[in-house]
Amino acid sequence: MKSLELLFHKNRVSLGPYVGVGLILILLPLFLSPYLLYLAAKILIFAIFAMGLNLILGYTGLVSMGHAAFFGTAVYVGAFLTVHSGIENFWLVALLGVLAAVLMAALFGLFIVHLSGAYFLLITLGLSQLLFSIAWKWRALTGGDDGLPGIPRPDLGLPLPMGDDTYFYYFVFLIFVGCFFLLYRLTDSPFGHALVGIRENESRMKILGYNPWRYKYVSFIIGGGFGGVAGVLYAYLIGIAYPGDIGLMASVMVLFMVILGSPGTLACPLIGATLLTTMEYVVSIFTPERWPLILGAVFVLIAMYFRGGIGIYLIRYWRKLDLGHGSPKS
Amino acid sequence: MDFWVTIIVMGLSFSVLLFMLSSGLSLIFGLMNVLNLTHGGYYLIGSFVGISIYKWTGNFLLAILAGGAVAGIIGVGMERGFLRYLPGQLLDQVILTMGFLFIFTNLAKWIWGPIPQMATPPSLVAGSLRIGAYSVYLYHLVVIFAGLIIAIVLWFFQEKTRYGAIIRAGIDNREMIMAIGINFNQVCAWVFFLGTVIAGITGVIGLPLLGAYLESGSEILLYAIIVVIIGGLGSMQGALAGSFLIGIIHSFSKAFFPALAFFMMYLIVIIILLVRPSGLFGKRS
Repeated sequence: MKSLELLFHKNRVSLGPYVGVGLILILLPLFLSPYLLYLAAKILIFAIFAMGLNLILGYTGLVSMGHAAFFGTAVYVGAFLTVHSGIENFWLVALLGVLAAVLMAALFGLFIVHLSGAYFLLITLGLSQLLFSIAWKWRALTGGDDGLPGIPRPDLGLPLPMGDDTYFYYFVFLIFVGCFFLLYRLTDSPFGHALVGIRENESRMKILGYNPWRYKYVSFIIGGGFGGVAGVLYAYLIGIAYPGDIGLMASVMVLFMVILGSPGTLACPLIGATLLTTMEYVVSIFTPERWPLILGAVFVLIAMYFRGGIGIYLIRYWRKLDLGHGSPKS
Repeated sequence: MDFWVTIIVMGLSFSVLLFMLSSGLSLIFGLMNVLNLTHGGYYLIGSFVGISIYKWTGNFLLAILAGGAVAGIIGVGMERGFLRYLPGQLLDQVILTMGFLFIFTNLAKWIWGPIPQMATPPSLVAGSLRIGAYSVYLYHLVVIFAGLIIAIVLWFFQEKTRYGAIIRAGIDNREMIMAIGINFNQVCAWVFFLGTVIAGITGVIGLPLLGAYLESGSEILLYAIIVVIIGGLGSMQGALAGSFLIGIIHSFSKAFFPALAFFMMYLIVIIILLVRPSGLFGKRS
């Protein structure tokens, strides 16, 4: 146990909350119907997606409205490889999908990382729409607005039936834990602290000898990589690549998840993804037609009355959980 | 030859719509530092209110007035009630204005139903016109002409009147104009009103060209955003140049390679960004 705590950095964080939330996630399949389990897997995947944006927005302070570009790239690469090329090996598809997302982020980053504020936001939006227009119009490759169906459940090369929802859920859960741990170590490293420094005062960091551009660029690429991991898993989860996965709505949703969960905290992505997905599910039971209306009203409420997001309230309320570890954006 | 003239005239009339929308977006950002993503929503409100009034009374001018007024009143309500409490907070503004865009779109679906509606131009400016060997739709010409007038009026308002001077001064240094006793809050409310009225009017004027449909709010917003990226946030000249460019490119690429119409525009955006990162007329940061 001692060595495990050392792994979690200098005894500063108690393991309790992590173990608690982890146990809940592990035990979930015992209680949930197949559809709800599918939703739970979706929540974990969106949480990974939101982790990437949380790094870019919450820790580095760049408001991106095009994060779905990397998610969607991976979804489509996953679909091309499995449907068009017939590659069955999950690890190869995952590697290429994440690589494509990372390369896309590295390419986009060159154009935009030196920008800030509203320009950064608008241009990330514009670039992601560029990819959306390809997915939407290049029918021969992407299937256009019909999407690209027929992605099978992954073949891990292990004797585990991934077609079984429970197994697939646990697989997603393991990757989620891995991503969470990666982000945890990353944000607690000198690199992560430098990102927060740049968010708070870029010129001071420059004077201290840091090169803000390089830090922001690397953060943007890593964030894109998280989006890529989520995208590959999502392609396998729903079995179809659809232009919506790369479009404005997906970017807005993940942005809202991050804001809902309080950007710059470790718990943010999971809280945001859980709240939003659950909300959508509950509303869709009662009045699916009015979901955008209710969603919009929640947006307005959050912007007006819960500026820092719901996450910090939850964290303050349940202080003992100690999920407040991180650097919340004030 | 006819073909080319048609493409150019159609492109220019689309440019006019884009200019009317993006100039408001740009001005509001320049003065108030507010990124108003609901701007497409006011276009949507204008177009649906306009088409209802137009079908009910048959009077297009009345439709323009009603569309502009409703959009403006809702707009100023949003500014007074919500946006003014979020000065300079980009993240909250984005969430708030995006939320309102969702709300307006869904309300429009509730009130007017999901089916797109088309309108014909008013009979006075319907039909086509022959100029020499070319024949063009009269309504397109009227829109272009109206756009020219609006551009001139806006220019005159901003450069030659006292109110325009206040707005320009506010863009440069808001503390200074507050210090000389001008109520900046009121200026903001008026500019927001003006911007949203114009967005609403754009929705009505665009009816015979594009019709009224639910996705129009976010669609036209994306176009306006491209224009603003190209021209530079906060610059009227930028909005004018960007709209001209995008309108023409849009029209040409739609005619020659329709599948790539969007792609072409974003390609232009990237090229311009490489040359001038803050847009053609944007302030260098």
